[in-house]
Amino acid sequence: MTRKQKRLAVIFGGLAFLGAATGLTFVALGQKASYFYMPGDLVSADVQPGQRIRLGGIVEKGSILRGQDATVTFAVTDTAETVKVTYKGILPDLFREEQGVITEGSFGPDGGFVADSVLAKHDENYMPREVADSLKEKGLWQHNE
Amino acid sequence: MVEIGHFALVLALALGLVQMTVPLIGARLRDERMMAVAGPVTLAGFVFTALSFAILTMAYARSDFSLQNVWENSHSLKPMLYKITGVWGNHEGSMLLWVFILTFFGALVAIFGRNLPTTLRATVLAVQGSVGVAFFLFILITSNPFTRLSPAPVEGRDLNPILQDIGLAIHPPLLYLGYVGFSVSFAFSVAALIEGRIDAAWARWVRPWTLVAWVFLTGGIAMGSYWAYYELGWGGFWFWDPVENASFMPWLAGTALLHSAIVMEKRSALKIWTLLLAILTFSLSLLGTFLVRSGVLTSVHAFAADPSRGVFILCILMLFIGGSLALFALRASSLTQGGLFQPISREGALVLNNLFLTTATATVFIGTLYPLLVEALSGDKISVGPPFFNLTFIPLMVPLLVLVPFGPLLAWKRGDALAAAQRLMFAFAAALAAVLVTAFLIDGSSAIAALGVGLAIWLMIGALTDLAVKAGLGNVEPSVAWRRFIGLPRSVFGTALAHLGLGLTVLGLVGAICFGTESVLTMKPEQITELSGKRVRFDNVVPVQGPNYNDERAHFSLLGPAGEVRREIWSSRRFYPVRQMNTTEAGIATLGFSQLYISIGETTESGLVVRLWWKPFVTLIWGGGLVMMAGGTLSLLDRRLRVGAPARRSRKGAVKPAVEAA
Amino acid sequence: MLFWVIAAVLTLGASLAVLLPLAARPKSESSDTAHDLEVYRDQLSELDRDLDRGLIQPSEAEQARAEIGRRILRLSAARQEQAGGERSFGLRLIPVIAVLAVPLVSWAVYARLGSPDIPSQPLSERLARNPADSTVDELVARAESHLAANPSDGRGWEVLAPIYMRMQRFSDSARAYDNAIRLLGSNADRQSGLGEALVNAAGGRIAGDARAAFLAALEHDPSDARSQFFLAMASAQDGRMEDAVASWKRMRDSLPEGSPWRGAAGQALAQAGLEMAERGPGPGQEEVEAATAMSEQDRAEMIAGMVERLDERLRENPQDGEGWKQLIRSHLVLGDANKARDVLARAVEALGADTEQAKAVIAFAASNGLKMTEQVQ
Repeated sequence: MTRKQKRLAVIFGGLAFLGAATGLTFVALGQKASYFYMPGDLVSADVQPGQRIRLGGIVEKGSILRGQDATVTFAVTDTAETVKVTYKGILPDLFREEQGVITEGSFGPDGGFVADSVLAKHDENYMPREVADSLKEKGLWQHNE
Repeated sequence: MVEIGHFALVLALALGLVQMTVPLIGARLRDERMMAVAGPVTLAGFVFTALSFAILTMAYARSDFSLQNVWENSHSLKPMLYKITGVWGNHEGSMLLWVFILTFFGALVAIFGRNLPTTLRATVLAVQGSVGVAFFLFILITSNPFTRLSPAPVEGRDLNPILQDIGLAIHPPLLYLGYVGFSVSFAFSVAALIEGRIDAAWARWVRPWTLVAWVFLTGGIAMGSYWAYYELGWGGFWFWDPVENASFMPWLAGTALLHSAIVMEKRSALKIWTLLLAILTFSLSLLGTFLVRSGVLTSVHAFAADPSRGVFILCILMLFIGGSLALFALRASSLTQGGLFQPISREGALVLNNLFLTTATATVFIGTLYPLLVEALSGDKISVGPPFFNLTFIPLMVPLLVLVPFGPLLAWKRGDALAAAQRLMFAFAAALAAVLVTAFLIDGSSAIAALGVGLAIWLMIGALTDLAVKAGLGNVEPSVAWRRFIGLPRSVFGTALAHLGLGLTVLGLVGAICFGTESVLTMKPEQITELSGKRVRFDNVVPVQGPNYNDERAHFSLLGPAGEVRREIWSSRRFYPVRQMNTTEAGIATLGFSQLYISIGETTESGLVVRLWWKPFVTLIWGGGLVMMAGGTLSLLDRRLRVGAPARRSRKGAVKPAVEAA
Repeated sequence: MLFWVIAAVLTLGASLAVLLPLAARPKSESSDTAHDLEVYRDQLSELDRDLDRGLIQPSEAEQARAEIGRRILRLSAARQEQAGGERSFGLRLIPVIAVLAVPLVSWAVYARLGSPDIPSQPLSERLARNPADSTVDELVARAESHLAANPSDGRGWEVLAPIYMRMQRFSDSARAYDNAIRLLGSNADRQSGLGEALVNAAGGRIAGDARAAFLAALEHDPSDARSQFFLAMASAQDGRMEDAVASWKRMRDSLPEGSPWRGAAGQALAQAGLEMAERGPGPGQEEVEAATAMSEQDRAEMIAGMVERLDERLRENPQDGEGWKQLIRSHLVLGDANKARDVLARAVEALGADTEQAKAVIAFAASNGLKMTEQVQ
């Protein structure tokens, strides 16, 4: 091989590698990025059971039920629609009634939402940004701003 | 005296303006006097910024609530340590720390760069000065920590209790030392582009600065990860959270830069690429600052959310990233090309390293910013979490890790892959043995786990093999080998240690992720539960009154085989009345390299909610980081990195202080 | 003064950092090629060291040496001429501008941003001053730091609680009442104070905890006016308007003249009366709630606002007997009999002294203890 051919080979090798990596990245984005929904969005959105999503909203007053073995069920609402969520584990410190919350997980075959992580933010006045934005869009935001 | 601090900050801005213009004009005109301004002005700028920072710290220590910043982020009842760390626990103070570190690095360049060619030194300091000016303006215009309140309130509004932690207190300064440290390599790169030539010693000057920044950034990331691990109480150590990614991207790019600078130094090759990498690394550091500071991305760590600041930082970003890349596009072609080499050679291996690392950086970059892009384009809110990064980042890292031991064993210019493979036979055998032992004796359920252990062993033994080969072990008398081993350059030890540390971290990750177990249950007092053969008894809950919090402290005992108490573990939920906030203080028992991790939730009718994790080898994750830091430091002490100036060298000789490189 | 001296010294120092190097004689230049040569020499000696240690093969070393040698040759070929020569006038101005820029920029920017007249105020110094010179805030801070050190001082909490309430720090007030009850025991005053603090903290809504506090207060002292008032308001919030009105009436009639709660009850009653009659653009339910939940001062302000609005309306539309009655009542409730009298006079004038409506208004005023004065007649 001449020097030029070698250089070309190296360049093509590098490009092929980059191409493969880019392909991998976008396949991964397509599969693994989880979309954020409020309960009201789920009516129109087509979410399959088992598909990972993030569900945000406000913990409905009086909906927190503690079951056996640290299992908790509660309802996430955007004041229009409500979704029941089941979660096993320790709830975050700032998880409270009528506070903003983001849960991540998927719908089970029975239509209940099973969360494997629950996020509430570490500040008393802080509403998760996605939740706040969505509430504002719907004109339900009443926070002091 | 508070206003003196404010005034000193303004003076530092004025000096920065001089620093960014006069030496640059001087360098263009080859005017010695104008270039000579750079040093003293940089030092004076550092002194005034330090004064300003010291006065702000003093105001925090003395609870001077006539400063709005102190009032918002401090409280007279806070322990003194957290009053002081509170200085950078908030946006304004942390920006002042940022620019303070920037001027500190500038001063170091001014002091230790006396043997640089004068024009290069003047240009480098001018570029540093321009970064400084941008941030001084940012602080004074949008986030001034010296804004006064009159009349002054008498009590502060406390620091977020989750930030009252010694790990977090040290974490931002380390991280900033890393971020800002890359500004030096950036300044060198831009200076080279402005001058239109790269000195032979350019890489020798850039490499130590990159190393310093890299060592600090490694420490900062490890510390931040450990903080999230024990303070958030979720048992996780890495969440692929945007803020974590913000510090991880410069680290990946910086690691690539570290390696490409070796090629440039030894072989004068990859010059243009190294320049570009230096620019990109600092750009990612700026981006990291932007991501955290603007609150554009939601995150468990974000503590600032102010769009006007975001716009300002965006301008800074566009100015520096866009400007330097435009300069690069204009001038790169005028730089001389470097030497050639075979694909199979040390250079080839390092290029491969760069290819993998930059691609990995790109995937993290895409994963972090993709949600922003999607939201901007379609309005959909998406999140890109661990599943994405596991699918993209890990496949990129594994081949890189497999190749790591080969690199140092290949010769420059034209290497012999077969010979290197032969030398690595022992490491390969050890790794294979580890895979088999893991698969058949410990846990055969997961092939990935076994292979992961093998990879870690491969990396560690491979790193040690490099040392053994370089000492000639097996080829010469042991006593000769020992003498040669002792006499090896420190950079060789540095490389081996850093790669060893990488292996340790991999082992920790594999242990904690693949062999870790967890359980969630409700427990009544005296109840015993078992996790991976560890018997844990929940004893009781005691209320404890802290200085500014109330604790609900649960007592657990780790039981031995005969039921005796081997270890006591306290895990608590803490309540801060001033902020009406709860935090979790996880209970952690370290057994060897492994940890038992307990966090508690609320008490229900059926008992206390308890979450237990058994995390084998988890401490190695951060221990590996420390070993990497040690490797980097050792490399920094190598005499090779201390390049003398032509005029001064004869006088001072070889006995220059080791800090010369820093 | 001291500040300006220090600032001037600092400015001088900064200016000198610019001035001195510019004034100094330039050192002899060393060319860039000399630097490069030094590096190559260093690389050669390093090569020798590596060869001695056996880190590289002799053939590799030879190659590398040849390569470095080639670089040195290229370097000496590339020795370029150094620039220099004449400076234009503009360029000679740069050092002058630079030296002047430091004081000018810094003083100009500081003049815009700084507050040189505010001294630093460390907390310990402020608290060490004579209490008589302190502001209310400072006194409260002093009490707070005392209570932080002695959290079981119930008296302290009891003193601080109503002060917090007046400072509108309602949750702090509730906490202080809570502590006082815990440490000193429950009594009517503390419980009803706790209740009021909770109501205010909740923005006027009377929730379960506040209600419990008021009930506890009434157990200690069934005649506790504050608790009666707020419990009546709770009934109103629940929609049981009759109950609320009944107990407010009872309060208005039974409470002594000077009691602030009597006025408050009267006012609430008036508003409730409006509410039930659903009459005109008066204050809505929410406004009433807000008014009753407000602090005494805010309440007065809001009522004054409503009175003004009513007054205006009557100016435009004076043929409104009920409106005049309401305005007179309002002034009486606000304790301003003179104004009430003026309004009465205006009403009579507007309605015509002999009309039925005017007579009704005069009768109404009389029943509230207000007589027409001679000047009208």
